[in-house]
Amino acid sequence: MNDKLTKEEVLHVAHLARIKVDDDEIEKYQVELKQLLNDVDKIKDVEGYDEERMIAPWPKDTILREDEPGEMLNPKEVLKNAPKHSGNYIEVPIVISESEGA
Amino acid sequence: MKYLDKTIEEIHEALKKKEIKPIDLVEESFERIEKNKELNAYITLNKEEARKRAQELEEKEVGDNLLFGLPIAVKDNIITKDLKTTCASHILENFIPIYNATVVDKINENNMIIIGKTNMDEFAMGSSSRTSYFGAPKNPWNKEKISGGSSGGSATTIAARDVLFALGTDTGGSIRQPASYTGIVGMKPTYGRVSRYGLVAFASSLDQIGPMTKNVYENALLLNVIAGADDKDLTSAEKGKEDFTRFIGKDIKGMKIALPNYFMSDIVTEEIRNEVEKAKKILEENGAIVDYVDMKYLDKAVTLYQIIAMGEASSNLARFDGIRYGYTTENPKDIEDLYLETRKNGFGKEVKRRIMVGSYLLSGENAKIYYNKALSIRDDMKKEFDRIFKDYDLIIGPTTTTTAYDLTDPMDDPSKSFMDDVLVIPVNMAGLPGLSLPIGFGKENMPIGLHIIGNSFEEATIYQLASFLEKKLNLDLNPRKDDENV
Repeated sequence: MNDKLTKEEVLHVAHLARIKVDDDEIEKYQVELKQLLNDVDKIKDVEGYDEERMIAPWPKDTILREDEPGEMLNPKEVLKNAPKHSGNYIEVPIVISESEGA
Repeated sequence: MKYLDKTIEEIHEALKKKEIKPIDLVEESFERIEKNKELNAYITLNKEEARKRAQELEEKEVGDNLLFGLPIAVKDNIITKDLKTTCASHILENFIPIYNATVVDKINENNMIIIGKTNMDEFAMGSSSRTSYFGAPKNPWNKEKISGGSSGGSATTIAARDVLFALGTDTGGSIRQPASYTGIVGMKPTYGRVSRYGLVAFASSLDQIGPMTKNVYENALLLNVIAGADDKDLTSAEKGKEDFTRFIGKDIKGMKIALPNYFMSDIVTEEIRNEVEKAKKILEENGAIVDYVDMKYLDKAVTLYQIIAMGEASSNLARFDGIRYGYTTENPKDIEDLYLETRKNGFGKEVKRRIMVGSYLLSGENAKIYYNKALSIRDDMKKEFDRIFKDYDLIIGPTTTTTAYDLTDPMDDPSKSFMDDVLVIPVNMAGLPGLSLPIGFGKENMPIGLHIIGNSFEEATIYQLASFLEKKLNLDLNPRKDDENV
């Protein structure tokens, strides 16, 4: 069992999580993430279990409520916590640039 | 002015006779918190609003509500309207919620007064509260020691006797383990007993809010307030109104109790096993039947937890994107850069590790290899508990494998925080209620807790046993010396 992930593996995992990893952090993550992955690998040794799954300790089926209008949050209040907003909209950087645009 | 050291009935009488007003209790709490400042139990104090609330309550009838006018501390991952809620994270350092969690509404409707928001591990990820962006709380029994986690601040403020009541949350032991380390009573109710609406989600199939108090009776009283179905949380249970104190004071003759061998194996220190044996003896002398039993899968609980909790966390924490609320990075190049930089700078080390591993475990084929298999074994573990509860009323064991360790112990082992909760995690997996009760002290004079597990929705039976033992043991659980009192 390797005690380290490769650099590429760390960068792949960081990408999945949308967390930037600086070059000087990679080495630390190679070891730490590998240790946690070794921990969870222990599940591969468990045998003789029943296939039925428990998604949550909740015996009931999905509960549906009546589709009735209720209280809504005030947009002005909602926007108070947004780092950037303009009017009733939250501002974000350009998602699709003109050069990539459809 | 030492009202907070009196019994809850005495405080209630004094309020009723108007010898004191709620504001006196609020001021006494703030004085004690100030005096215990170095314990670092709080992230935010609710000074202005608490005083305002106390004055408003002067206009109301005290009535028969034992909790009327009493201060309560709330863990900082439970949202409070207009009161900063940080989850002990840089990413939410300035987050001001615009609505209340259901439990917070219930506390307010019950005329209790929120005194502040307590310190914790960042997003409840950790077992010592040392992953808090605001520094770790200290154990009132010994300031060199951890208070445990993740509800370390709530445990600290109860042990220090700053307030009578606190709310914690428990995903893999985060109420019971710090309760054990600090010599208080902490209950994780059955999954579905308490609404999770307004609890910042960590692992949604495991999270539960619960009461932390200095004794069993007060714990049951607080559960009376916060329990109940909620339209806003469709996993909250329709169980009808129930008085959780109703079996307190009843004897335990004929009660059947299981003690799993795994809980008494050499993963637990000898001094803790000895205290559990002593408790077992008291129970037997009073007519309970306590049997050692074998239970499958208990030793697999940490592995299941790592997969399920990290998996669910990676999904739940995807919402912290620097766009809708919380910290955001300055001048991002594009949207991808905004996510990457915000999450890099906003989250602490432990949280980042868990999100990364969780994302990996849920990606592609891994979901089958790890997550689906973990859910299958989780189902088997629940069935194993069901099997035991066919023959037994309760299960007991130690809450923790050691007493509270030093704040300066190394934090570089990523598995350590999971292993600290090895005895309490199975309860979250099966959605069961579990309580930690102080039953003695170790050689360093640090508290030891007994873990009492009940079948689903059997909290009242847990309180029955806990209060019986509490009375028999009659321990002095106040770490504050008289000369330190306010």
